[in-house]
Amino acid sequence: MKRYVAVYIALLIITALQFVMGYQNIGGTQLAIRFLTFAIIETIVVVLFFMNLGTEKKVFVQFVVFFMLFVLATMNYIWTDSFRLLVFRLTGLGPS
Amino acid sequence: MSEAHLTMGAHTAPPMEDRPFAIPSKKLAMWLFIMSDVMTFAACVAAYAFLRNATPEWPRPFHSVTTVGVMTLIMITSSLSMLMAVGAAKIADKAKAFRWMMITAAGGVLFTLLHIRDWMGMMSQGVGLFQNPWGPAAFGAAFYSITGFSLLHISVGTIALIVVAIRYQGGRYNSDDIELFSLFWQFISLVWLFIVPLVYLMNQAR
Repeated sequence: MKRYVAVYIALLIITALQFVMGYQNIGGTQLAIRFLTFAIIETIVVVLFFMNLGTEKKVFVQFVVFFMLFVLATMNYIWTDSFRLLVFRLTGLGPS
Repeated sequence: MSEAHLTMGAHTAPPMEDRPFAIPSKKLAMWLFIMSDVMTFAACVAAYAFLRNATPEWPRPFHSVTTVGVMTLIMITSSLSMLMAVGAAKIADKAKAFRWMMITAAGGVLFTLLHIRDWMGMMSQGVGLFQNPWGPAAFGAAFYSITGFSLLHISVGTIALIVVAIRYQGGRYNSDDIELFSLFWQFISLVWLFIVPLVYLMNQAR
């Protein structure tokens, strides 16, 4: 139980840091990168300790991790198109 | 009589293949459900991020994130209380496990009420699914979709938790079932930790 409480406190600290960062005058991209980094750290901590994935058999951990990473990586196809639309909207060019 | 006939007569089943993951079937099913839910949430997050990035004047309507901060505290704390319930169930302390599950459910109810209050505040500002006072029409649909999907998970999860707790106390469920439910609760709590920075903290009014 002590380990759970320690992880709980760590999660609270990480989340509090995110809230503090939200009030700082940080640029959009930099802020997004920092938030994503903190969220990934939170994910690793929760999945390993609160969901006890670390204690499962190695082959199962590999199955979950590789499958998830593959899905999340394929989601990144969106970015090029979103930047294309952004340029179209800012410049007034592109298809009407 | 040949050996083949003897085997058929005794209905000897072929030896089963070893379970590759070496975890109970119910736990594997829960993990598969969580993995499929990750895909759904990832699609919601990707759609929101796409719209936000492609829209130059994305609204920043959140003047205060105090309520969201309290909701986040509730969710993280409910994750811990759910683990306490699992711990108590493992040592067969039924009363304590039930109490911790009820504390977790209370957190879920409180979170749901605060979330609805947050939505009411947005609606009173004129934010609907297809319109808002600030311009980009997609904001409302994106906001309500991603937060609504999370709210749906947490509110339905709270009801399910109460059912699991009652059945555990009645002797129909055991500590393994509590552990299974804990996996789901940790997952929905984790999803909220992604939604807060993406939807609220990135869009604070400055």
